[in-house]
Amino acid sequence: MNNNKKSMWSLKLSTAAIVLIPAAIGINYIGKLFASLLRLPLWLDSIGTVLAAMLAGPVIGAAAGVINNLIYGITVSPVSTIYAITSGAIGITVGVMAYKGWIANVKKATIVGLVTGLVAAIISTPLNMIFWGGQTGNIWGDAFYTFLISNDVPQWLASFGDSIVVDVPDKVVTVLISYFIFKGLPKSLTNIYRQDSEIEEL
Amino acid sequence: MNTMTLYVEKDSPVHRLDPLVKLLYVVASIALTYILPEPLFIAGVLFVTLLLLVIGKVFRNSLPILTLSMFLIFSLVIVQGFFHPDNVTELFSIGPLVFYEEGLYVALVLVLRVLVMIGSFSVLILTTSPDEMVERLIKKGMSPRIGHVILSVLQLIPQMRATTSKITDAQRSRGMETEGSMLTRIKAFFPLMGPVVLNSLNETKERSIALEMRGFGSSTKKTFLNEEKQYPYNKLLAGIIIGIVILGIVWRVMA
Repeated sequence: MNNNKKSMWSLKLSTAAIVLIPAAIGINYIGKLFASLLRLPLWLDSIGTVLAAMLAGPVIGAAAGVINNLIYGITVSPVSTIYAITSGAIGITVGVMAYKGWIANVKKATIVGLVTGLVAAIISTPLNMIFWGGQTGNIWGDAFYTFLISNDVPQWLASFGDSIVVDVPDKVVTVLISYFIFKGLPKSLTNIYRQDSEIEEL
Repeated sequence: MNTMTLYVEKDSPVHRLDPLVKLLYVVASIALTYILPEPLFIAGVLFVTLLLLVIGKVFRNSLPILTLSMFLIFSLVIVQGFFHPDNVTELFSIGPLVFYEEGLYVALVLVLRVLVMIGSFSVLILTTSPDEMVERLIKKGMSPRIGHVILSVLQLIPQMRATTSKITDAQRSRGMETEGSMLTRIKAFFPLMGPVVLNSLNETKERSIALEMRGFGSSTKKTFLNEEKQYPYNKLLAGIIIGIVILGIVWRVMA
């Protein structure tokens, strides 16, 4: 790679990168739709956010994540609004790790997925504690929470376990799916979103 | 145009309010349930919220939004009632499981809070058209670029939803299995998702060229298509809402 790259945190966004945000949110929505259509046991509702972060870096990834949940809040379920912070963090994590070269192969991509799931759980836990007394409203997660609580595990730790059970598998699969799609995209398409491209502006 | 929104077009005093005042109400009502976490008080906030829904003629439209969160509510009552760490006083028992009063109390506060949250959000989203809300926010200083992003998502999703059924049919006619074992179903995810992603990314390319041609990237001040609406009692209502929150904080500190 060259040395005179722009920083990945540059806020000077190209039009292509901005237009990527609605597309990413659409992909999130469709991913969730197909996952429930095929009766898969995961949400897979952040494929677009992860892809946007891989394509255009952490700033666009975070924007896609936050706006995704805000729009979900005003159209489908108000409860999801509070997880805008989590979605934003997912975008930042994947964006930074992708930029540092962590999506070179399947093994590395799996690690990106694990880290993303962990970050998502760490951020969701305080939100779950504040809003729902530690639960998530997901049947597997809450079953695990109940199991931990009845074994005298402190509430915040049980809540963290609740999130981990839900988030880590989902995010690992999401990142892997996004990775395979990303690798399959033609270069002519992936190049237009990068903030570090050397196209001169008029 | 077919957009993805829950907005119900009606004529009511709540519809005519400034979107920003309604947004303020959402924040204030949720904040109040934390400032004064007493079931009776939260029930009061909930009552006002429901009253606004009735005045806005959208009470019935808010029920589907509520059913989405039904599982969370049930789960809160059951898990807190049976397993909350502070549980002492027994209320009733099913076999070896004991349901406690303290847990029920905790669950009551949590459930009321969830209801207030859903209710006040419903007031906002059922009585405010997204166009009006985004335009108000841009006038108050939000970047027009973000405004464009939000509004284009609301148009894009119905379009994408229409293409998904086309893609599903096309792949099925090529022999893709969408039923059967978990592995078959996981395998089917890729041929379904791939075309959607490629399609929408290709579209962004065209869209960005079209936007650039119309001066999207230019930094000159943007003008608005619609004339600015007048909102009477705007400042007064905002003042009352903020006043109540401050009163709540004072009450909490004093008591």
